[in-house]
Amino acid sequence: MNLKYRILVIVALVAASIWALFPRTVVERVKRNGEFVYDTVRRVPLKRGLDLQGGMHLALEVDESKGPVPDKSKAIDNALKVVRNRIDEFGVSEPLVQKAGNDRIIVELPGIDDPRRAQDVVQKSAFLEFQITDETQALEKSLPRLDALLKDKKLVAAASTPGAKKDTTSSSAGLQSLFTADTSKKTDSAKTDSAAAVGTVGGPGAFSKLVQQGQMPGEYFVAQPDVGTVTQYLTLPEVTAALPPGKVLRWSSDTVSLSGRTYRALYVLDAKPIITGEFLTDAKPNTSPTEGNLVQFTMNNEGARRFRTETGRHIKDYMAIVLDQRVMGQPPVIQSAIGANGQITMGGKDLQAAQDLALVLRAGSLPVPLKVVEVRQIGASLGQDSIHKGITAGVIAIGLVIVIMLGYYRFSGALAVAALALYILYTLAALAGFQAVLTLPGLAGFVLSIGIAVDANVLIFERIREELAHGKTVRTAIDEGFRHAMSAIVDSNVSTALTAAVLYQYGTGPVRGFAVTLLAGIAASMITSIFVVRTFYMLWLNRSREAQTTLSI
Amino acid sequence: MFRILHDTNYDFIRWWKVMAGITIAFILLGLGSLAIKPPNYSIEFTGGTLMQLEFTQPPDVGEIRATLDAAAVHGAEIQQFGTNREFTVRAQDPSAVAAQSKGAESIATTIERVLKKKFGENNLKVVRTEAVGPRVGQELRRGAIIAILLSFLITLVYLSIRFEWRFATAAVIATSHDVFTTIAFLKLMHLEISLTVVAGLLTVLGYSLNDTIIIFDRVRENLRKGRKETLYETLNRSINETLPRSVLTHATVLAATLSLLFFAGEVIRPFAWVMAFGIITGTFSSIYVAAPVLLWIERKWPRKTSARQSSSTATPTSRTRPSPATATR
Repeated sequence: MNLKYRILVIVALVAASIWALFPRTVVERVKRNGEFVYDTVRRVPLKRGLDLQGGMHLALEVDESKGPVPDKSKAIDNALKVVRNRIDEFGVSEPLVQKAGNDRIIVELPGIDDPRRAQDVVQKSAFLEFQITDETQALEKSLPRLDALLKDKKLVAAASTPGAKKDTTSSSAGLQSLFTADTSKKTDSAKTDSAAAVGTVGGPGAFSKLVQQGQMPGEYFVAQPDVGTVTQYLTLPEVTAALPPGKVLRWSSDTVSLSGRTYRALYVLDAKPIITGEFLTDAKPNTSPTEGNLVQFTMNNEGARRFRTETGRHIKDYMAIVLDQRVMGQPPVIQSAIGANGQITMGGKDLQAAQDLALVLRAGSLPVPLKVVEVRQIGASLGQDSIHKGITAGVIAIGLVIVIMLGYYRFSGALAVAALALYILYTLAALAGFQAVLTLPGLAGFVLSIGIAVDANVLIFERIREELAHGKTVRTAIDEGFRHAMSAIVDSNVSTALTAAVLYQYGTGPVRGFAVTLLAGIAASMITSIFVVRTFYMLWLNRSREAQTTLSI
Repeated sequence: MFRILHDTNYDFIRWWKVMAGITIAFILLGLGSLAIKPPNYSIEFTGGTLMQLEFTQPPDVGEIRATLDAAAVHGAEIQQFGTNREFTVRAQDPSAVAAQSKGAESIATTIERVLKKKFGENNLKVVRTEAVGPRVGQELRRGAIIAILLSFLITLVYLSIRFEWRFATAAVIATSHDVFTTIAFLKLMHLEISLTVVAGLLTVLGYSLNDTIIIFDRVRENLRKGRKETLYETLNRSINETLPRSVLTHATVLAATLSLLFFAGEVIRPFAWVMAFGIITGTFSSIYVAAPVLLWIERKWPRKTSARQSSSTATPTSRTRPSPATATR
């Protein structure tokens, strides 16, 4: 190739590389004073992996512990949309949500500072149901059977807790109310008094002794230490079968404190919800002076119509708002038919919780429960530290390689060093151009490749030396040196590239970044050590015709 | 012109029996210790939880352990990581893994909670968490093995096309040798086998293969020149002729590897160790595995004209091969 064109190609590549690496203005979502805003940032367009910039990587799969899912792939597809919506609203710059394989969702959230919250937002089913509390005392009717069952199974001794044993002395039949019989409500003092008055409560049965009647129909209280035991009972197949038909039992999301003891409410609800969250069109967090933090929601026309009809039929009943099988707040009494708008009170939770709940309600509920199968979370400071150390190692490696090449090959070594500078530029540009992700192993691979990149030049230089030793002229020796070294360079680089391709195919995350860096490095080193150094030699030969007799190599 | 090891004429292959003895002893030592105690897989492969913690004050490791034991996080391995204020906690035993599948971050959450309670909310920071379910770990392990085997297969095919099957087989056997020595090295150094280390292993394989190819390329060329010498002599000559290149390239790669080892931080160190060892084993296997194996294959399945004869009657395969110049243009 003509020397002019060679120089043109090199200059064009340099220009393209600088263009690819030039810091550019990008629009990013950044967190400012707790709010996510769009902002423009100027930076070098090299994508850093999660391990370098900090962030979170999540892998989720369908959770089948609560029942099999027939078409997992389809379920994952649907869940993917929901997760993507949620993440988009969550406000992370450049998040990644994708399906991996047939049954897995990968979520990558760069720069996330609250991993637990992020995981919660992704994983929350956000299945909203409105269910009327039971008014038929269905649980009381089933209690004798439940007690008998548990007695037969002799599970009581095994599962009972110290908290439960305390109450065994009491032997009045059936359930006792934690409150005075006439439904004296609301005021805390009344609660305390009545609870104190009842003292030891509970029936003789294993089950009934743990459960106390609450304030409203279908409400029961279980002392917090016993919650585990009761939950365990409720999962026994025999117990499930003996529970009142057409009803479901749901725990409250918060606890209440009565006369020094903590209780959790257990609600008996009509199994069929009057309406679910599928009709929801909007949800907003809000704070009310009386009810604390809450989420206000709006339903679409069809939902509003249904909601109005159903609530109209249940005036004076209590309606539980059930989110992911937990009753949110105390079920309110239905005063009149409710239309399109409603609200969910958050109990004692903070505004952030209300914001997150509003977010997941807006984004829709997950069609299937998801479980987390992989979490990787790296702090931003650790990533910064890795970059810093990686760059230090790289600079030192470059320095050592320069010393070796200059010390051994002198002038030719200088040409190789110049080519090495271009190699670094080209490799980084290739990574930026292909939008490859630079990971920590990738950075290590890059540093290593600086040492390997000069191999082609070493091969060529050694060949040239051999040719010179055979008494050839400088010009011929250079030509022959390049030609003879070629087969070795090509074969060794192609086989390395093939290995890198395999790594890319079978690697994940950081390792994939490593393979990409390796591939970019091989391509760049072939160009620089063969093409660029050759051009340098040609330039040198052209410029000083009389100097052709000796070559510093 | 400053030259080292120029125009040498060492009889490298003469020592192959001694070298074979040394490397076999090393591999057996490694595999033997593997038989006694299984390798140290990272949580990426076994499933489990790894947390990297940064304390404001150097903590007492015994105290961390006691706190974790009290919280029923048993069998957690606590290791200093770099400075004496940084530690990794690794919950990797089967019961932890089983509990993990219920929700991969549960153990991490527990560890963070109890340690913050013990040492104070602001006195430690979780800088890295990795929690991997057992199934993911299994898939990764399978992926790593497939990657290694597939890279062998592809290499075999490529070299069979570019050289011929005898060279390809010898090169792949030399590379397999490096897999075993590197595994033995990992075991003897108590290095953890992580994804990054597997990437390092594959890099070593690529590098070692490079080295073998450079020598074989010279062998191919020398055979074509048709000197009156045996393959034994040709191999020795080729190794000697490529010796300056080997020394130079190993020096630059070693320079890069050492800077990684000393300056790139704790996370990359295992990778750098593997690579440092890889330079040694790669060089070794190119000379003492690839060459003797090629000799042995030649003796067993000689090319149509006897290998001991002058290769001026170049082999049929070599005649049909393109010349290096035309092949690469």
